[in-house]
Amino acid sequence: MPPHGDLDRQIAHLRECKHLPEAEVKGLCEQAKAILMEEWNVQPVRCPVTVCGDIHGQFYDLIELFRIGGESPDTNYLFMGDYVDRGYYSVETVSLLVALKVRYRDRITILRGNHESRQITQVYGFYDECLRKYGNANVWKYFTDLFDYLPLTALIENQVFCLHGGLSPSLDTLDNIRALDRIQEVPHEGPMCDLLWSDPDDRCGWGISPRGAGYTFGQDIAQQFNHTNGLSLISRAHQLVMEGFNWCQDKNVVTVFSAPNYCYRCGNMAAILEIGENMDHNFLQFDPAPRQIEPDTTRKTPDYFL
Amino acid sequence: MSNPESTPQAAASSTSPPSHAGHIHTPLCRSCGAPAAAPAPAPWTGDSPPPAYRPIRMPAINAPTNTAAIVLSPVPQPLPVPPASPPFAFQAPAKRIASPDDIARFKDSTHGRHFLGFVASLSASVHGRKLSDPLPSPPSPAVSALLDLISALSAFVASTPPFPHSSRYGNPAFRLWHEKLGDSVNELIAPITATAASPSDLAGAEVELAPYLLDSFGNGTRIDYGTGHETNFAAFLYCLARLGLITEPDYPAVVLRVFASYLDLMRTLQDTYLLEPAGSHGVWGLDDYHFLPFVFGAAQLIDHKYMKPKSIHNPDILENFSKEYMYLACVMYVKKVKKGPFAEHSPMLDDISAVPNWKKVNSGLLKMYKAEVLEKVPIMQHFLFGSLIKWED
Repeated sequence: MPPHGDLDRQIAHLRECKHLPEAEVKGLCEQAKAILMEEWNVQPVRCPVTVCGDIHGQFYDLIELFRIGGESPDTNYLFMGDYVDRGYYSVETVSLLVALKVRYRDRITILRGNHESRQITQVYGFYDECLRKYGNANVWKYFTDLFDYLPLTALIENQVFCLHGGLSPSLDTLDNIRALDRIQEVPHEGPMCDLLWSDPDDRCGWGISPRGAGYTFGQDIAQQFNHTNGLSLISRAHQLVMEGFNWCQDKNVVTVFSAPNYCYRCGNMAAILEIGENMDHNFLQFDPAPRQIEPDTTRKTPDYFL
Repeated sequence: MSNPESTPQAAASSTSPPSHAGHIHTPLCRSCGAPAAAPAPAPWTGDSPPPAYRPIRMPAINAPTNTAAIVLSPVPQPLPVPPASPPFAFQAPAKRIASPDDIARFKDSTHGRHFLGFVASLSASVHGRKLSDPLPSPPSPAVSALLDLISALSAFVASTPPFPHSSRYGNPAFRLWHEKLGDSVNELIAPITATAASPSDLAGAEVELAPYLLDSFGNGTRIDYGTGHETNFAAFLYCLARLGLITEPDYPAVVLRVFASYLDLMRTLQDTYLLEPAGSHGVWGLDDYHFLPFVFGAAQLIDHKYMKPKSIHNPDILENFSKEYMYLACVMYVKKVKKGPFAEHSPMLDDISAVPNWKKVNSGLLKMYKAEVLEKVPIMQHFLFGSLIKWED
């Protein structure tokens, strides 16, 4: 068998939107953990690379994303978190991304989003989905244990700073971020929490986030952060934007959202940001994927109704 | 943890790390070209490796789920609302829940139990009742005042059209609607408290009641709505019940008139301003916004002669009966706004359609509301506590 035969088989299986057996998920997560623990809190990434926002279990739209942006590993990818929750195929989505990471570690970077957490996945769907698809919570546990190792941010060619949420009043420099102990559940507050939860805002300065975690930050904050750290741009996800991408704060910040027709209803486009060999920016927008197959529709009575 | 340049994986890889990761240089501001304030971070070296990570594990909150425990857990039962008596000491309510320990405390507290009992009582009060059925008793003045409140808020929608373009999903005109609510909230509440036997006892009640109402229709900043906001509206009603403004004979009217009008208003707000779905569980929840209309709607259908839970798959039944039954209206709404296979975008509703009867659906939904809404920190962290819903330390 070729050196990556098993992984290549798993990737092919996952690309058909079929989830892996529990034991294979366990093995995959162990391999991924060994790779991710070598990565930094501010993971260096080279251009060209294609930057993607929230996916939220929309598996067929992820396949569409690869069709639009180029297949992995032919195109380098940087995903900014929120692979799971809300959609129907969180298990297949995160399994595929993790398998690609294990197979092509230098061709794909996967960051942590606020949904890559034990507490949030118990409320927004991934936990329910694992129970439903595997009959127990083991796979949920393997993945959420793995999520602790995901890098928090990435830095493309020392110029474009990528992360899921936004800035933190406790973090002035990239070095401050490098010094964080990230291998833990996303805390309820503090710098690590802020990176995954904060949002840009029209008002200046820091504001209390209505989300109940993280902060809002104004253009002055983003400008200062970019100046201090010699950055040209903060690229982040975390917010639904109708065109799939949205420049704000005088082009100091861009939001990228890659789940089209979010929650099957929002009618938004998705987008990905191609950063070329010369650090040029190009957005590709896409609509929901034409559906290939219907889901398995066997009804299972939820425990509450037994 | 080591310098990626020195790891064998990186050395052997086709893509090496950025060439300048190993050099110290002074970064320049990309907008003005001046040297940036902070020096570039020094790379990790063999002499000074990055700090070893300290694994901190947070225990899972309520995992793994135990099917037997869920099956055996009791169905929430109706409980009378404990009356509050004057003199009242109204206070601005505050958030108290931040951890699973707080949830456990709330669950076992007087008002944790009685709030759930109130929801169960409202549900029990509409067994077998259609929306158009005559009420068992004429609406009380407080119920009429509540209906006026909802009408006034509906009128705000007409006078606050959505903005033509928005880069976000949520339309920022919702903030104007929400400001109108905030500006008039005391005047909206006054006619309700004026229906008290002794209105002077309720002087200053707005201080405590207004925050519940302000949180009942979604978040103005986030332009979103979810089950937490719905729960705050139920908490507002609970406070009115504690003050004796709503009594048990009013309950059918509270559900079939007040709550039904609230649901109509919420659908209008959701559709007009495209409120972002804040509802929990994604596809594994009931819908993206609501929970209680499913509870009350299932109660309406208990013992119905021919409509069964599986009837939701019959378009004719939905078409003809959604005006009379909230559950069917909710399913129809989901089918209208969501694209794709029903079993994929709404697997819970699909699963529930296989439950044999509406009584089971109703009792299961009550159990689910308790566990998935009232016992979840991310939702209940926004729940408010004052003198009527008292936080017990």
